[in-house]
Amino acid sequence: MTPRLGSFSILCALLAVLAGSHLAPAASVEEVALMNRADRQKILVEGARKEGKVSWYTTLIVDQVVRPVKEAFEKEYPFIQVEYFRGNTERIVQKMIAEYQAKRYEADLIDGTVSPTMVRRAGLLQRFSSPLFAEYPAELKDAQGFWGATNLYFFATGYNTRMVKPNEIPKTYEDLLNPRWKGQMMWSTSRGSGAPMFVGTILNTMGNEAGKAYLQKLKQQNVAKTSASNRQVLDLTIAGEYPLALQMFNHHAYISKAVGAPVDWIAHEPATATINNIGLGKYASHPHAAMLLIDFILSERGQRVYQQSNYLPAHPKVPAKQVDLKPGGGRFKRAFYINPDQQYDKGNDWTEYFENLFMK
Amino acid sequence: MAKQPTSESLDLALKGGQARAGFSLDMASRFDVASVVMICVSIVTGYLVLPPLYSVIQTSLFTTKLTGEIDQFTLRYYQDLFRELQVIGPFLNTFYFSIGSALCATILGGSIAWIVVRTDSPLRGLGYFTAFASFGTPFILYTIGWLLLLGKAGPVNYWLKIIFDQTTPVFNVYSMFGMILIESLLWSPFVFLMLAAAFRSMDPSLEEASAACGARMWQTMRRISLRLMLPAFFSVMLLIFIRTFESFEIPALVGLPGDIRVLTTSIYLDAQKLPPRYGSAGAFSVLLMVVVAATLYFYFRLTREGDRYQTVTGKGYRPTLINLGRWRYLTGAGLLTYSIVLLVLPFLIILWASVLPYYMQPGLEGLTKLTLKNYVTALHFPKITDAIKNSVLLGLGSASFVMVLTLLASWLLVRTKIRGRWLLDLMTTLPLLFPGIVMGLAILRFYLFVPIPVYGTLWILLIAFVTRYIPYGIRYTHSGLLQLHKELEEASYVSGASWFSSMRRIILPLMTPSFLGGWIFIFLLSAKELSMSVLLVSPQTPVVSVAIFELWENAQVGELAAFGVIWTAILVTVAIVYYAFARRYGIQQN
Repeated sequence: MTPRLGSFSILCALLAVLAGSHLAPAASVEEVALMNRADRQKILVEGARKEGKVSWYTTLIVDQVVRPVKEAFEKEYPFIQVEYFRGNTERIVQKMIAEYQAKRYEADLIDGTVSPTMVRRAGLLQRFSSPLFAEYPAELKDAQGFWGATNLYFFATGYNTRMVKPNEIPKTYEDLLNPRWKGQMMWSTSRGSGAPMFVGTILNTMGNEAGKAYLQKLKQQNVAKTSASNRQVLDLTIAGEYPLALQMFNHHAYISKAVGAPVDWIAHEPATATINNIGLGKYASHPHAAMLLIDFILSERGQRVYQQSNYLPAHPKVPAKQVDLKPGGGRFKRAFYINPDQQYDKGNDWTEYFENLFMK
Repeated sequence: MAKQPTSESLDLALKGGQARAGFSLDMASRFDVASVVMICVSIVTGYLVLPPLYSVIQTSLFTTKLTGEIDQFTLRYYQDLFRELQVIGPFLNTFYFSIGSALCATILGGSIAWIVVRTDSPLRGLGYFTAFASFGTPFILYTIGWLLLLGKAGPVNYWLKIIFDQTTPVFNVYSMFGMILIESLLWSPFVFLMLAAAFRSMDPSLEEASAACGARMWQTMRRISLRLMLPAFFSVMLLIFIRTFESFEIPALVGLPGDIRVLTTSIYLDAQKLPPRYGSAGAFSVLLMVVVAATLYFYFRLTREGDRYQTVTGKGYRPTLINLGRWRYLTGAGLLTYSIVLLVLPFLIILWASVLPYYMQPGLEGLTKLTLKNYVTALHFPKITDAIKNSVLLGLGSASFVMVLTLLASWLLVRTKIRGRWLLDLMTTLPLLFPGIVMGLAILRFYLFVPIPVYGTLWILLIAFVTRYIPYGIRYTHSGLLQLHKELEEASYVSGASWFSSMRRIILPLMTPSFLGGWIFIFLLSAKELSMSVLLVSPQTPVVSVAIFELWENAQVGELAAFGVIWTAILVTVAIVYYAFARRYGIQQN
């Protein structure tokens, strides 16, 4: 072990010298992240010019939104190149943590519904402050500045319009208990976007006792479970396998409906909502460029890129492209926001509760 | 080296006669070569297999922090596992599922292999083509294709309802039967490729002798052909059994909706927890390792007298085709049905899904809405040409490396009497049992800390793939080599050839069927590998399977289907090239 560590630290020292030689008096990541002065923008731009790039570990779909964001950002800052690495939550977190431990600071930014929180719990996330935070309500930003919201997900029940008559559409959570739906519903077992989040919403909004009683009744409905993603569950509903798909992203149903699929969505009040958020790596190699990208994404301009890509912008002033996909847009009023910390801390309990009740 | 003479071995020694005695003497002078090969192969295999093995065991015994550091020693994962094992339902389900799939896949793939290789049945060319093309289809797509086909609202149930005059769906795919059906269809190309190689190297003179003694064809098959194929059958069944025992994809996609729980269901849910708990998966694979080690040990003892299975000898070896007479129409129809069920039906439904704006059951309505939009989306995928290039390169590299390494390892296992070689056999089988994610993490961490600059390059993927696919290579080469009588090698040595040239000029050419069979199989597997690739790729080294993964997580079925059709087309091209190649080297004898 010792010789390896020895040569490794020599290598690191060398790298540090090399890095230091051309990035003269480098400010620490923390200083850059928490900078709060009038000429902040100017300093960020100067620093970013030297850095030349920013690397973003993302869970978002490259073709749908990452590339448009990259293009819009690079148009505004032509001297910064955005590099991205896409994977699911677990993989990008594992990759980033492993790299940081080996002192390869390849990731500057990380996003996802729970990935920044995981990195933070590993002690590798940096608090930051952005003037844009002022534009967001409390539930859409971290009080300590570990993350900012980029876009939102709202869950709804998807239904096959040929199999479900208009007067049958289950409008409330209670309606799902109608014997008509016994054996007619399907949901995904995915922790972050499936049944466990449904369980969490019910337990939190109905209260523990009433919530548990409700879930007991739902169990009698024999909801079919699958490990497929909720997009695929919705596709099975469109194909006519199950009339109802629980806990779907409402925008997925909307996208399919727009091309003519026999599907629509109905939100039950309050609808589950999760927050896609972005955080800064503690040892980011390009902190200036990273802060510029965060600012851009949180700004109205950046949020419009999400909007145009059919993602649901987090910024209160930027409506969804299809307005009624967000609460207050006409189709549902309230959402239960499951913030990243809750999702991390409570997610296991909800998954376990789901497993014990519905899988045994 | 001295072993207890049993009646069997004495018997064989007598039969082996002079040649055998001569070889033992010769073996002494060859011993140095064997040792050198043993040392090299062990070092390479150990280097590849031991770090992930260490990781798997460690994962199963310690809780880990989010940072991946070892936290506290715990036996919790094993306790959970044993508690789970006591619940009889999931355990029995797992058992039925694995046994059922292994049996069905072996019978199905084996029959097709026999028809294609050993008979004069029409349409034999279909066998290889079907195997390649269906195996090339991305796994998730293939399964979803089957669910759409067999689902409640799918075309199969539609016709069954009409035929049986029912109003409710007749066939429930979300059942144990559905699971076994899809899983065994999924594995039958593998069985086909492996057993086709074994059948091809079978000396027909034994069958002819049986026929000359008045045995009927079925008697000959049962008492001669099938027995000679035992090692190959065992190899293939062992592999499928292990893979299905530890698989969670089919159980989760097909079994879960029908409330069929297997042992891996809870592991699958556990892995979703935060911080990720890979301990359950680790403990499960350690338990499987113990079981497999025991199985291999006894198998090794059983086949120690490998001479019994040596069918390729110095006596004019020429596989002849069995004349089926009128039966050939039946076998031809069988091949056609196999092809339609395994390839055409799922492919058609995928093709159908790929040209629709959203999924509709096959029918006139869909015909009015055909579109190529999904293909446009799929082809616009970022860095798609790089991904295809990388995947093909990786496939070529890992297939070639694995086959050479495992050929040498098999030679050691089959031909030499070096003590403890069953350990080598075990080591080459273990990677089969490593959970993909644990192995991927182990390799990631290993190369981040070891000063070998492969991190972020294609090399790290190559290392991962080679490690992962050693077990398949060893099964192909091991059963292939068992069939070669050692007198062929001895003749070469006696004529003064060196070990290397005997290898190159005798063993390798005679092993071509298994060697190429394994090669193409690993090539196809690596094109699909996902669980490790997702961790190990860098932005500069995209591969196709990861691109598909990105699609399957969020894409609509249509886009995924379009991508699948394109990818299948590429693999079919590779298959055709291989086919031409195989013909040239006498794999396909007509």
